[in-house]
Amino acid sequence: MVNKKTKLHYYPGCTLKEKTTNLDNTTYAVMDLLGYELIEPENWTCCGAEFPLTEEKIVGLAAPVRILRQVKLEGGNEVFTVCSFCFNVLKRANEAMVTDPLKHKRINAFLKDDIAIDRVTGEKTTDFPEYNGDVSVLHLLEFIRDEIGYEKIRSLLKRDLSKVKVVPYYGCRLLRPKGKIGIDEPDDPSIFEEFLENIGCEVIDFPFKQECCGSYLSLSMPDAASEASYNILRSAELNGADVVALSCPLCYYNLDRRQDRIKEKFPEFHEMPVFFFTQLLAWALGVDEEVLGLDQHFCDPRSAIGIDKSGVEI
Amino acid sequence: MNSNGKKKRIGVFVCHCGVNIAAMVDVKRVAEEMEKYPGVAFSTDYIYMCSDPGQQLILDKAIEEKLDAVIVACCSPTLHEITFQNAVKLAGLSAFQVEIANIREQVSWVHTDREEATLKAIRIVRSLVEKIRFNKNLEPIEVDVTRRAMVIGAGISGIQAALDIADQGYEVLLVEKEASIGGHMIQLSETFPTLDCSQCIMTPKMVEISRHPNIKLMTYHEVESISGFVGNFTVRIKKKPRYVDEVACTMCGDCEEVCPEVVPDEFNLGLSYRKAIYLPFPQAIPGTYTLDIDSCLGLWPIRCSACRDACEVNAIDFDQKEEIIEEKVGAITVCTGYDLYSMKSLGEFGGEKYEDVVDGLEFERILSASGPTGGKVCRPSDGKVPKSIVFIQCCGSRDPENHKSYCSRICCMYTAKHAMLYKHHVPDGQATVFYIDVRTGGKRFEEFYQRTVEEGEVLYLRGKVSKVYKEGDKIIVHGSDTLTGRKVEMEADMVVLAMAMEKKEGTEELLRKLNISADTDGWLAEAHPKLKPVESINAGFFLAGCAHGPKDIPDTVAQASAAAAKVGALFAKEKLQHDPAIVPVNEELCSGCEICVNVCPYDARELDSEKGIVIVNEVLCEGCGACAAACPSGAAQKRNQTDNQIFSMLSAILKI
Repeated sequence: MVNKKTKLHYYPGCTLKEKTTNLDNTTYAVMDLLGYELIEPENWTCCGAEFPLTEEKIVGLAAPVRILRQVKLEGGNEVFTVCSFCFNVLKRANEAMVTDPLKHKRINAFLKDDIAIDRVTGEKTTDFPEYNGDVSVLHLLEFIRDEIGYEKIRSLLKRDLSKVKVVPYYGCRLLRPKGKIGIDEPDDPSIFEEFLENIGCEVIDFPFKQECCGSYLSLSMPDAASEASYNILRSAELNGADVVALSCPLCYYNLDRRQDRIKEKFPEFHEMPVFFFTQLLAWALGVDEEVLGLDQHFCDPRSAIGIDKSGVEI
Repeated sequence: MNSNGKKKRIGVFVCHCGVNIAAMVDVKRVAEEMEKYPGVAFSTDYIYMCSDPGQQLILDKAIEEKLDAVIVACCSPTLHEITFQNAVKLAGLSAFQVEIANIREQVSWVHTDREEATLKAIRIVRSLVEKIRFNKNLEPIEVDVTRRAMVIGAGISGIQAALDIADQGYEVLLVEKEASIGGHMIQLSETFPTLDCSQCIMTPKMVEISRHPNIKLMTYHEVESISGFVGNFTVRIKKKPRYVDEVACTMCGDCEEVCPEVVPDEFNLGLSYRKAIYLPFPQAIPGTYTLDIDSCLGLWPIRCSACRDACEVNAIDFDQKEEIIEEKVGAITVCTGYDLYSMKSLGEFGGEKYEDVVDGLEFERILSASGPTGGKVCRPSDGKVPKSIVFIQCCGSRDPENHKSYCSRICCMYTAKHAMLYKHHVPDGQATVFYIDVRTGGKRFEEFYQRTVEEGEVLYLRGKVSKVYKEGDKIIVHGSDTLTGRKVEMEADMVVLAMAMEKKEGTEELLRKLNISADTDGWLAEAHPKLKPVESINAGFFLAGCAHGPKDIPDTVAQASAAAAKVGALFAKEKLQHDPAIVPVNEELCSGCEICVNVCPYDARELDSEKGIVIVNEVLCEGCGACAAACPSGAAQKRNQTDNQIFSMLSAILKI
């Protein structure tokens, strides 16, 4: 008997199709093993990244609301993301639809005349219904805790990660604003730790888990970003961690890809491997190494999860 | 009808309350309109009806115009009903022939249209004319008083209240759930702004408690339940087994020496350890050991009995059982104190993670000569003398979004004291205080704070701390200096958090037993925020100390003495007078359905099974009217507020 997979809406976000395909691929791999068939909403676009958040301009919300409306039109009532930034933008846009009648009215008026063109048939759709914020936006960490359950994860573990000393790095977007948006208590979170424990890692506590990585300052003030990232990685090392786990492509970019710049500025810096949480989960669930996309990392993470230089599992 | 069977002559007196009423209500027009209203024999207005000439006006007119009843249109009856009742009594009228039409709080203060407001005022006065037509003269119900008080909680507030009541010559039961009296104050090192040693000023009072002939001290006791009413409460008190005979125990300490069980010491907030059989602190009152059964190896089935074997005077009794004691008291003073808000709630400061991040009370123990370090300032993790301490104020206070909205009042002062005492102990140490505002509203408080800044060279930084974490041997504090707008990062050896005060754990449960109320933060509610600060809304209950809200020792003592004076005033009465405006049962109409019995919040009604109808305990009935509303047959009618009166009032209000 073939187990029928549960269909589930998944919003990857642009970076996952471009710079961090390892996050996207491992998400597909683990969700397949966990019994889900992922559906990406038709014609999805960029969520708007930080723009809807930095200004009060209503039009910035058009992109995330349009994505959520598409999920609704496809019959979905929940959508999950793995990118912290997309998660934050989608959830805040969703919340605005529920709590701010003016935004609700104006965005819906604006998006009513949206035109969707079917890629295959060329058919045009317009005169869209209103979107009322009724699709729930989840982060995969929440989805695993609340809907899949750690017990199921534990029962499917294939590899032993008990030698992986890992710090969970939340960054800012997973936790703030406190309350309706953040997935956990911003000053004392535990969901990432629980997840890492349940996939068998040795979890190390460190005080910089909610500190900002420097975010887009890596473009405008690269030195400031380097310092922010350096402080995080240094603290992880001081507390005895070997690797950092995170869920945000921008954090990943600042913490991993820019380690060369950090080293330039801080010569005493030691490189440290950085993983997406889905990569660790995929590895623990027995996914092949190729899927993990480890060659995309600046700091080679292979030895940290027990792969030697010739690519053999130790 | 008046007593002669004639139609009542009713007088209406409309007050301007300066401009409070007159600015929004045309008071002259109200008086004129009322003059024309059926039954009104006289109507006038005056600028301040509560003033002496105003009261005289009512008195004179009542006699001149042969009035049978008086309506005063003025402020809320909670303010001046009694004033005007006393005025008409001089004219020979019953207090029940006065009604207050509230045209200030319910009209002038809440409306903006003068015409509409005036019309509403007229309607309200009319409705009271309709009511008062049927008001009967009632006689107060007299009740005896048990001249014996109970004080719950024996911290400084309870101790002061008990002593002051006892000194007035009344017997006091002082009930304390812990093993010793003393509360939080006995844990403090020195007290601001005079730096008196807390134990030195407190222990004489504690000894006085134990020796006072009028005080019955009940430590390790808890209130189980209360029934009755003001002047006549019956209290059930649970006596928890101490497993040590208080009288026989000589405090030799032999038992403690042999006890194998070691647990964190509550008195030192876990900074040191005690045995399962212990003396809370050397000056504990009563002076006896207590066996903490939760940490004892067990009385049964595997008895360790090391302590019993060691005790030469045979004071240890494993067979003690919990007992319930019933006592009668006339007044109850609640002095249950406070807890510090848990450091767990502020994860960013790491209070739960790092030993060297302590709360204010822990630091008191570290500073105290009787504390775990013997008065030497050492940090808990390694016993080193901290060369720098960061103090963080407002930890959980004044943060309505995340924690407590209120100011805990004592933290600015005790932080200044901590910083100063720290500098006395470690003169070359650096003390830094993060504050939002420094609030020093008390006698000699500001001077004390200035001394801390100037003499103590304590660095005060205005700003909030975002994060506290440990790196190696040091604690790193990240914050902001909001005066310079700069980010601050500093190293410290220790961090002291001025945690907010919050209601004592278990307060809700106690309040349910006492049936008295608290405010939204859980602090006990006073009857009036300005004018009745030590009385509970429920008669016979008084409150003092931090159970009522954050306050310092001088304020606590003052409030406790005030509560004691109020208890004394209650006991000085020959008899207590209970409001006769209660809800009796019309025996002819009552079917004994018991609906009213269930809705009565005061347990004043019960079914008389012989007669098959409900009977009322007149003294318990507070006249709330819940039964009157629920009674399906109209047998429950509140005196001077019958259905008939209510309907007449309604039609007077609704009539155009």
